[in-house]
This record gives sequence, structure tokens and C-alpha cells, in this order.
Amino acid sequence: MGIALLFCFVSQGYAQTLRLTGKVTQKVDGQALPGASVTVKGTTVGVVTDVNGNYALNIPQSGGTIVVSFVGMVSVERTVTQAGTENFTLEDNANNALNEVVVIGYGTQKVTKVSGAISTIKSTDIQRQNPVRAEEAIQGRAAGVTVIQGGTPGSSPTVAIRGIPSYAGSAPLVVIDGVQQSLADLNSVNPIDIESISVLKDASATAIYGVKGGNGIIVVTTKTGRKNMKPEFTVNSSYGVQEIARYIGVLNATEYGAIVNEGSVASGGNVIFPDLTTLGVGSNWQKEVFKTAPLQQHTIGVRGGSETVNYFLSGGYTSQGGIVGGIDKSRFDRGNFTANIDFQLSQKLKLTLNTTGVILNSKGIQENSFNSVIGSALNFDPTVPVLNTDPNSVGKYGYSNLILSEVYNPLTKLDNTYNKSLGSKLYGKFEAQYDILKNLKLTSRFGYTKYDANSKGFTPLVFYGPLNVDNSMNADRSTVIDKHNSVNHDKVSNFNYTWETFANYNFKVAEDHTFETVVGFSLAKESGNAAGVNRQDVPFNSWEFADYSAATGTNTATNPSATGGYYYQYFKRNMSFFGRLNYDYKEKYLASFTARRDGSTAFGADNKFANFFSGSVGWVASKESFFNVPAINFLKIRGSYGTVGNDNTPTQATTIITGGPDYGPTANSNGYNFSNVFYPGSTLGTTENKLLGWESQKQANVGFDLTLFNGKLTVTADYYEKRVGGLLFQPATVYTGGTTPVPAANIGSTKNNGVDISIGYNETIGNGFKLGNTFNITTVKSLVTATNTDGTAKIFGGSYFNGQSQQVTVFEKGQAPGYFYGYKTNGLFQNAAEIAAAPTQTGAQPGDIRFVDVNGDKVINAADRTNIGNPFPTVILGWTLSMSYKNFDFNAFTYASIGNDIYRAYERNGNYTNKFRGVLARWTGEGTTNDARNPRYSFTDANSNIRASDRYVEDGSFVKIKNIQLGYTFPRLMQGKVFKSIRIYAQVRNAATFTKYSGYDPEISGGVLDTGVDRGAYPQPRTYSMGLDIKL
Amino acid sequence: MVLLLTSFTACKKWVENNPHDRFLVTDLDYLKSETDYRTMAVSVYSPVQWLNQAVVVGDIASDNSVAGGESASDVLALQQIDDFTLTSTNSTLLDLWQVAYEGVNRANYMTQYKDKNKAGETVNFNGKDALYAEVYFLRAYYYFTLTKMWGDVPLFIDKRLNNSDAKLLTRAPKVEVYAQIEKDLNAAIAALPTTQSQKGRVTKYAAQALLGKVYLYENKFTDAASVLDPVITSGAYSLITNYASIYLAAGENGPESVFEIQYTNGSPYFNWGGVTRGQGNYAVQQNGIRGLNGIGGMPYAAGWSTNLPTQNLAAAYSAGDQRKAITAFNIEDYKAAHPEYNISYQVAPYKNTGLYNGKYLPRKGETSGQVELNYLNNFRVLRYSEVLLLAAEANNRSTAPNDTKAQGYLNQVRQRAFGDVAHNITATGTALKQAIWDERRLELAMDGDRFFDLVRTGQAANKLTGFIAGKHEVFPIPQEEINVTGLTQNPGY
Repeated sequence: MGIALLFCFVSQGYAQTLRLTGKVTQKVDGQALPGASVTVKGTTVGVVTDVNGNYALNIPQSGGTIVVSFVGMVSVERTVTQAGTENFTLEDNANNALNEVVVIGYGTQKVTKVSGAISTIKSTDIQRQNPVRAEEAIQGRAAGVTVIQGGTPGSSPTVAIRGIPSYAGSAPLVVIDGVQQSLADLNSVNPIDIESISVLKDASATAIYGVKGGNGIIVVTTKTGRKNMKPEFTVNSSYGVQEIARYIGVLNATEYGAIVNEGSVASGGNVIFPDLTTLGVGSNWQKEVFKTAPLQQHTIGVRGGSETVNYFLSGGYTSQGGIVGGIDKSRFDRGNFTANIDFQLSQKLKLTLNTTGVILNSKGIQENSFNSVIGSALNFDPTVPVLNTDPNSVGKYGYSNLILSEVYNPLTKLDNTYNKSLGSKLYGKFEAQYDILKNLKLTSRFGYTKYDANSKGFTPLVFYGPLNVDNSMNADRSTVIDKHNSVNHDKVSNFNYTWETFANYNFKVAEDHTFETVVGFSLAKESGNAAGVNRQDVPFNSWEFADYSAATGTNTATNPSATGGYYYQYFKRNMSFFGRLNYDYKEKYLASFTARRDGSTAFGADNKFANFFSGSVGWVASKESFFNVPAINFLKIRGSYGTVGNDNTPTQATTIITGGPDYGPTANSNGYNFSNVFYPGSTLGTTENKLLGWESQKQANVGFDLTLFNGKLTVTADYYEKRVGGLLFQPATVYTGGTTPVPAANIGSTKNNGVDISIGYNETIGNGFKLGNTFNITTVKSLVTATNTDGTAKIFGGSYFNGQSQQVTVFEKGQAPGYFYGYKTNGLFQNAAEIAAAPTQTGAQPGDIRFVDVNGDKVINAADRTNIGNPFPTVILGWTLSMSYKNFDFNAFTYASIGNDIYRAYERNGNYTNKFRGVLARWTGEGTTNDARNPRYSFTDANSNIRASDRYVEDGSFVKIKNIQLGYTFPRLMQGKVFKSIRIYAQVRNAATFTKYSGYDPEISGGVLDTGVDRGAYPQPRTYSMGLDIKL
Repeated sequence: MVLLLTSFTACKKWVENNPHDRFLVTDLDYLKSETDYRTMAVSVYSPVQWLNQAVVVGDIASDNSVAGGESASDVLALQQIDDFTLTSTNSTLLDLWQVAYEGVNRANYMTQYKDKNKAGETVNFNGKDALYAEVYFLRAYYYFTLTKMWGDVPLFIDKRLNNSDAKLLTRAPKVEVYAQIEKDLNAAIAALPTTQSQKGRVTKYAAQALLGKVYLYENKFTDAASVLDPVITSGAYSLITNYASIYLAAGENGPESVFEIQYTNGSPYFNWGGVTRGQGNYAVQQNGIRGLNGIGGMPYAAGWSTNLPTQNLAAAYSAGDQRKAITAFNIEDYKAAHPEYNISYQVAPYKNTGLYNGKYLPRKGETSGQVELNYLNNFRVLRYSEVLLLAAEANNRSTAPNDTKAQGYLNQVRQRAFGDVAHNITATGTALKQAIWDERRLELAMDGDRFFDLVRTGQAANKLTGFIAGKHEVFPIPQEEINVTGLTQNPGY
């Protein structure tokens, strides 16, 4: 107002002028835009809008062209020839984001001056997805990032930025408002509170985080208020229904009866079902366990600011039920309460206090094994009626008299699942910024995460069937001898903090040389502890009484496990010094240099510290005077090289452990019993590698950024190569050395390379039809180039059980990390002559699988196991299509993953467990089939057709329409004075999946050695929802 | 600058790794008292428990039992041992190799720090020699297991094997391994007491009996006789009249027990990643009858039927031999004899013989926690009856044979079995030797001795289908170990 008055006064001096007044607002929310410049083109006449977005300006009598501009928005020009009111609306400069600023480690940088590789996702993109977890918003939207989602409500997806450099995992560092957190912590951020996500991909961007930067960094910036901003209230609310998208083909009761008969007779046994006609279709267990479940998300937020205090306050509630068993048995609930407040205490001193409290509650079911709820639904006997028809036995649901252990009626299993977990997290930062000089700013920041969880589980006495050997309850409700129900309580408490102090100094030399520098140090500590108790004999076998205090179990000589407890604690400390220098000459020639020195308690006494350096250069060719391609608005070519690390290994010590059973990787137990009394013993428990040091990762990146046709088309492309040396890895076990675990060592190396491409295409067609497209293409090739010197050090994983314990994934030299390892098949033996002519294969009969003699030694044995697939995709595509016309907006996101294989590991293969529809095409005689997936069926399997082989490997490539959203924003007229905008939308998530995979969902998340192994993984639901976005 | 330097020094401390900050006891803190030494010696015993699959293998590899299970591809490692289709990749054999060597390493760690602990101090106490005698016995037991199974094996006694020593490993000739076993057992005999107040601790007689058995494996019959006879003449042991009662919980560590591997359900264990490495006897679950159900006082619990006695074994018993019913337990006979139990069970789906190992059948109330892993049944690995049979063979085959003595020992065992003298053996010479060998099978079946006995006595090729002489006397060295250490493989594998 003051500025406007001033101009009013000055303007008195001119008689022959036209007086213009008006308001400048933002298109996106209709809000006033203070500080916008309003000038007369070609003159020095101009004003700035006041806090309410108003301006007053005198222009020459002859009129002129008024230019209204604001940083980050598209300028508007309008020719004015007469006095009066002229209002302007400015739009975000989304198409030509050249003025944007990205958040990087310990600072920000103008996008045009970045010479490293960074992908950015904006709040609008996140909001259109309406995700439960922030990672969902990254999937397919940030080139170079692989995200494999799971279906369990609230579960953490597999995230890998540019491949899998390390055995220790691929989880990137997560930095929320400058505070270091872990990928797991993303479950406590309300995605709607996020302003932007930057994914730092190459060494020049990540080396400032040194030893934490090896897997890339996800930088999350949450919303804040702005100076002199009127309070802006937002309400976002949505409600949806989730359902299972597809079922797996299993046999119905009649088909099951027939195949069981065949298997029994083939192995010399009796006919099990003499009369198949009585069986009918039987029970469909999958239909029984999958239920529809609600998904609701509600957030209320307000932000604003005065001269000295800016604020963002938000409260959110998310509740996601699970489709397996419904919301009563499987769910994820989150409540978020955020206050981001900053105080300008003086001209020079600013304090920032960000605090978020989160409540995280969940319930879960047994997952990911052949006898999980889903596994039981797939494998259980279909001839069993859903409900118990036997008046002489307890239990609500039917039982099998053929399957007597391991696999039970899935409904009985579900019914007897009782657990809950109540978690609370408090995270945020306290930060002080002091401007020592005009361009020298000192920042000291204390960031923290405090997490407490309290969980409880109840294992009731269960009756599975009169002949079941796993019963803990008899048919008459009495307790089986030696069996007890039990309750367990577990408490976890973690506290992590980082204290960082750094100075940013920006200066220019001789006008055109711009320097932006930062130096600082950081101390970090992660610590935590956990404790738990368990107790048997819960009264009335009831969840209602499932509590330690109500249970009555007391240890006795004959039952020493009636009650017990445990406790453990851990910590890890890091310290670092870091610095960065960014230079540019007229924003045309760019260079950046970063250094970091890190120390960690995790490392050997002789190898405590390590240095990490990186550098990058860039050339904005389009700024050169000789550059004259009219179609190209902007072209930058860049390259970087540097080192980052990984300290993801447990802190070492040479210890003596005393006690009894050991639950570590080698089961290095202690103790013995004399005269039937147990005596604890002691032995060497762990040893240390004094030379253990950092995994060092050398990364190179070259790329370019291109903007064409006035911002309609943008292309960013990068080629990268990462080479890890001194891989933190478990040396080969020397079994002669016994069972004391061998400490990790810096052996081995990996290589990852690939291309990230992002293409944006935006167009306005006709009158107000807007079209936006973003394509992201990611290619990754990961290879383990070495482990120990002779390659014998390898780690097996991907365990599953199908009658035998199997392991199907390996991390070893010369192969992709976590590749599938097993026998190759070559059709089926059609007759005895073929078996006789083939390499020796013990137990083979006609109709059995012919395995390939890979090493050519004429014998089929373990040495013939080889690479049979890769669980990780080679190419990932993401396509976001957005369209808007008048008040309608449409957003669709399609995601494709190509080249990922899946290992089908949910088939139990018991004599009486249900079979899958493939068995209907089995070999039944010479010439019937030569498909190795469908060998003859018999109870006895002397050929071990069930061994881990490519029989179970399927192409898991898929195209998923992940999200479709159609929105309608009510015209302003209808919204009246109270509402700034009202938008309603309908959304479908996981609308369609196109894949050859026969299971539920080709996205199988897990660690490096579990990804792609489908043991009956919790599928992602299809969700139909409706939502409402309101601004006040 | 000063500030920077001070902060740097402070920071160095910040990243220092002091195990005491984490409440860890390090090797420098330990072996500082008698208690430390005694506690550590307890854990030298632990791997003996983990060797329970060696007992299972001893019968499955022989004509005594078969690996049943759910199907041909269930318990594959045992099936391959059963059928002599085994290769160098066998999870059971790999586990036994690692476990036996863990025993060796634990014993070695103690002998390494016997005179001075890691911190360089000497800790003396009463009974230290006797304690170390137990350690020597156990090391001998581990090496005996190793050499019985694999022949020439790596031999080291000075320290725990370090991972970096892997490439230096070589296999020592069997003779050298046996020489070390003898040395350790003689050292044990010299310092062990004849009785121990705690049942399950090894005694002088146990060491002598084991040494006698080792001598038989070396064909040193005269030495064997001279070390075994004193065990018998000591009168410390006697035969239990009711053979089956030896194998009841109440019969554990009884008057006939010379060395018994102790198990208990008193320290429940639930680690499926190392099924044998708790305080329970995992092999018991393997013996159990599938889907067994019964009411009232039916004592048995269900199991996995992966170790089934053969009809061949059952047929080897003469009528009137009380050992048959328990060694080759016939479930149908039992069911018929006890209609009041209303027994139902699932016929063993693979390699059914109708017979079960009654000596170690899972019984209700004898396990805890994770029921499959915690059965309390001790393994009776060295009973007085075997001492008699060992001594009989030693006297029969010594350079100055004493067949009368041999017959006497043998007939003590037979008289207990039949409850009369009508079944006494009167043969001499080679016939007596064969009678003693045959008796060993009947007396020791399902106690894990048969396969090694057949190999030792040269009968394996005649008695075992699929056995190839010159190959199957020893098991293949685990391929995983060959890959890492470059050890040589046994012939034929």
C-alpha cells in the first residue's frame, strides 16, 4: 500500500497521463501476487504490486504495452490505450522451467546452472497421483529410478537409483528438508505436504553426502509459507475402494480329485477319490480370502506468512485396508501433524522449526510363503467345504483330512491372525541462519527422527482338523498336550540425529564470474533399542485378553518357554567435513567441485576415514553468440565424474558370546546340558577385519538438456556408468573354519551403466485445450564384476519351500545381482530310449523333465545349475499424459517394465495340495506334450521335477496403467466468496495390467535377493476413488 | 584454526569403535578366571549335539534304514546318501563337515590359550588338567567323525582356523589324523576321572572305550584289547535287562551308558536356519510317524518318517530277540495291540517299510517350544554292550587271539537280548569274528554305527546295493569347500 501511495504522489507531477489500477493474481489458485513487476514496455516506467497484489500506474497519454512479470511465471503483455482498471493473471512457467531452482545438498541451484544429473518431481505431479507413499510418485516419473511396489498396505517398495551397485542394498539416502533420513522414513511423510522431490543421481550431485551417497539421494522438500502471504486453507479428501484385479488359475474340486487319483496310482498307491462326480467345483479359496477394502486420505492444511513469521500447518489422515482378509486383518493407518514455521528474528537472523508428528498403526497377515494366507488359498484342498459341517469338531471353517500339516484352510488361518502395531514418529529440524555478510550465510541445523513402536501379537490355540498334526486345540476344544497359546509384546525405540553447520558464500569476480560455495561439517548418530516379552496361556484363548499381564504362563522345568524376554541396543556414529564450489561464467560455462571427508564407527581401526571428490562441467551452448538455431531455446551439455561410498555394514568387534541358542546367520550356538540341566557356554562369537573400509564408487555421467520450440518440447538425456570397488561383501565361507561368522571385507566390484531420458511435450490446441506429455525412459545394466579373487564368495538367497528348501537367487561374480540360478530344461523325456541316450539323470522316467547338461560332463548334477533369469528390468518406461479443457482436467500415468523375470515360488507341490491349471496340459504319454513346465504327474518324483529350474521362470515384463484421474474444477462464479477453488475428481489406480505373467502381480518387491521371487506376494489392488480438493 | 583442530580431535573420538560402548565382551576380556575356562569348555561339547545327522547317516547309508519322507524329492540330501547317488554337493554332508570342524576349532581355541590367555596372563586353578582332558577327548571325537566320513582331512590343532588360512589347507593322511586322535585320547585318559558328578561329561572309561574303537578302525587289535579290557574289569558298567528301557527318557545315562550325547527340551530353540544346533535332538522328529493320532495314553507324537528301518533289518533278528520290537517298530502290530488308542496315521508316502525307529520315536511331552527341534532324547552312542563287542572283536583278532574271552563278552550281549543262554555263540576264529560283526548290527542298529562298521570290516560292497568299492567307503569332500580351499576330492566323485 505504501509503495502504491508513493507512486500516487509522484504521479501528480504529470498531467498528460492515463491512470491504470488493478490487481495481479495467480492463475493456479486465483490468489493475489505481491511483488510482481508492472512496467511499460520500452520505458523505465514501472511499479511493483503490493501485498494484496494491487498496483497503480500512470502511463503516457498515447498508451503503451504493459508487461507484467514475476519470477517463475510467464510474463503477460497487454496494450492499453485508456485509463481504468486492468487486472492481470499470471501462470506458472511450467513449460519453460528455465528459471526454476532445484534443491541440492546444502543449498539450491538454478536449474540452468546444474551440471550434474538431477530429476525433479513437482507437487502438482504428486497430487495428481494421490499416492499413499511418496515413492509411488517417483515411479516412472524420475528417469534413472527403478521402483518396484508391493501390495501390502503401507509397505516399502524396492527403490534403486541407477542400478544395484552394492550387495548391502540399493536403498537411497532420503533427505527431508535438509535432514538425513532413511527410505523407510518416507512412509511417514504425507505426500500432499511435499513441495518437490529431487532425485540426485550422479556423483557431482551426491558426493556432498559422501559415504551416504552411493545409492543416490532422494531430496524431499515440504511446503512452507511465504512472506506476507494471506492464509491459504486447503482441504484434500478422497475415498476409494480396493479390490483384487485378477485370480490365479487353480484346479476345481473335480479336477483336483482326478489329478490326486492319477498321482497316487502312478506311484503305486490307491485311488483317493473313487467317485469324482460328487466333488463338483468345490471351494474357491482365493475368492474367500480376497475382500474389498477401503482407502481414504484426508488432509487439511494452511499456509501463510507475515513480515516476520511464515508458516505451513497440515494435518492428515490416511487409512488403507488390505485386500487380503479385509481391513480387520490387514491395514495401514497414518496420521500426520506438521508445523513448518520460520521466524525472521532480525534482518540477519532466521530460525526455522519444522516438526512433524506421525502416528503409524498397522495390522498384518502372514505373507510371502507357500503357507501364508495367500499361499494357503492357492494350495489348499478345494474339496473342503468353506464352513465346518462336522458337528463333532470346533472351528468355524472346514478342514481337510488329506493335508495334515503346513497348509491349512486359509480362512482358519486368517481367523486366527491377531496382531497390531502402534508406532509414533517425531521428526523435523531446528535451524538457525545468520547472514554474516551480504552474501555469506551461516547455517546450523539440528535434524532428528524419533521413532517408537509398540506391537503385539497373539497366537491362539487352533484346531485345523481332526487328523492335523499341527493342531494346538483338539476337536473338543481341549488343549493338545504341550501346546499353549501365547502373546508377545515388542517395543522398538530409535533416535537418529544429525547436527550440521555450514556456510554459504556467493560472490562474483569481475562481474561475469559467479561463485557459489559451501563448507561445513556434520556429526550424526543413529541409535536404538528394542525389548520384548512373551507369555503363554492367555485366558479364554481370546485376543480380548491377549496381554502379558492377563496371561498366566510360568516357567517350569518341563516348560521353560512359558515366558521370556529380550533386549538389544545399537548405535553408529558418523562425522564429516564437506565443501562445494560452483562456478559459472555468464551462466554459459559451468563447473562444480565437491569434496567430503567421512569417518564412521562402522569401520576398521586402521581405516577410519575416507575422502570423496567429484567434479562436473557444463556448457550452455545456446548462450553462445554463434549459436543460431531458432528452434532451440536452450541447450546445455554436461559431464561429471566423482566418487561416493557406502558404509552399510555392521560395526565390528572380536567378541566372546556366552549363552545358549544362537539365531545369527551361522547358528553358532553355545551350551550343553549335564544331568539334564542346561549350562550356558561361551565361544568366539564375532571377529573383526581391521582393514574394513569404504565401498568406493566411481561414477561418470554425460548428458544434455534441450528445450525446443519455445518450451513445447524438452529433452534431458544422460548416460552413466558406476563402478564400485572394494565392495562390502561376505568372503567365501571356509567350512573348515567352523560356524563363527566371517567378518565382511572389501572384496569385489560391480558395474552399472545405462541411459536416462526424459522428454516433455506440451501443446495448447485451439481454444484452451492443453496437452502435456512426459516420457521417462530408464535403462539399467547391473553386473557383479568380481567378488573375491577366485570368485568363490557368493551369497545365496530367494529361499522358498516346495517340498524341499530351495534357494534360487545369487549375488556372485560375472552375473547380474540377485539373478535366478537353477537348472535349464529342455522339454520332456518321451520314452526310455531318450533317457538312455541323454546324459545320466538319476530317477528320470518318460514324462519327466529333461534337464540340460550345461557343463557337458554327461551327468546332470548340481554343477549344471546356471543363469535362468534376471528379476530386475532392463528398461523402464513411464508416460504421463495430462490434458485439460476449460474446467476439466485429465491425467493418466502408464508404466512399463521390460526384461524382468519372475520366479514362481508359491506352488507347494505336496501330494494333496491343490495344483495349478498348467497341470491339465501335463504329459500323459509319448507325444502328448514336450513342454517342460508340464511333466507327468506322480506323487513320487524321483527325477525331482520340482527342483529350481527355468520351469518356474516367467517373463514378468508388464505395462500397467497405474493411474487415471479425471477432474472438474467448478467455475469461480459458483464458488462464491468463501472458496478459492473447488475441484472434484474420480480416479482409478492400477486400472489395467498387461503381462504374460500368470501370477497376481508382476511387481514383486523385496531386497536384492528377494526381488522377483513370488512366494504368493501381496498383490497391488485396483482402486476406484473419488476425491475433493478445496481451497479457501 | 585452533577451533578446527580441536573439533577434529574430538571428532576422531566420535567415530572411534570401542566394543565396551556396546557392552560387548571381547577376546581380551575373557579367559581371566576359572569360570571363564569352565564356561568355554561347555561350548566345546555343543557341536557334539549338532552332529546328530552323522548318526542318521550311519544307518541310512547302510542296509538298516531308508530315507523316506513325503516323496523322492523330499530330504534329497539323505535320499542321495541312501541310494549312493550322492555328489559332492550335499547339504547334510556339508553341514556335518562344518559342525565337526567347529568342534575342532573350539577345542583348539582353548588349547591355544591354555597356558596364557589372549591378554598374556596365566590363570591356574584346580582341575584345569582334568577340564582340558575333556577338551582333548572332544577334539578326538570330532576328528574321528571326520576321518570316518571323509578319510584324509585337514588336520590342525594349534588355533582356530582363520579365513585367510583357507588357501593353505591340505588334507592330512588318515594315519596322521589317527595318530592325533590317539594322542588326544591318551592325554584325556591320563587326566580324566573315572566318574563325573555331572552326567554327560566324559570319563576316563569313555576315553578308553573310544580309543579302543579307534584302534579297531586302525586294525590295532592288541592295543584295542589292552585298552578295552580295563573298562570291563573295572565293573563300572552293567547291562540293563530290559533292552527297550535303555531308550526311555528314564533310561538316559544309565548303568550301561559309557558316552551319551545329551539333549534336553529345557532350552527351547527355534532356528530353522540351523535345525541341528539347539539343545534338542532333531533326528527324533525325522523318525516320527506321519500324521500319527491317537487318544488316551498313546505315548507317541507325529513326525516326518524320513528314517525308516528296513524289512532286511527286521528279518535279521531271530525269534525271541527282545531288541527287534523296539529297533524295527512295527506300527500296524502296535495299532493292533492297542485298539484303545484308536490310532490313525499316514502310511509313509515314500519308501514305506511299515517300520519305525522305536529307539528314538518322538513322544508326547518330550519336546518344547518349536516342537520339531527340541526333543530331549539323548543319543546312546557308546554303550557298555558295544564295549563288550569291541573287546570281543579285539580279543578275537589280536595277534594272540583269545576266543574264549571274546565269546564270553559276545554272549553277555546275547544273553541279555534273549534272556537265556540257549542263543550263546560257540564258534571260534573267523566264524566268531563274523558272529561278532553280525551281533554289532543287531545290538547297535539305528545308533548310527552300521555304515561305518560295514566299511571298516570290508563288508559294505557285499551288503549294500549301489555301493561301489573304492569310492563309497568315504563321502565326497563338500564341493563348496573345494571351491574355496582347493582341497582334493575323494576318488570317484
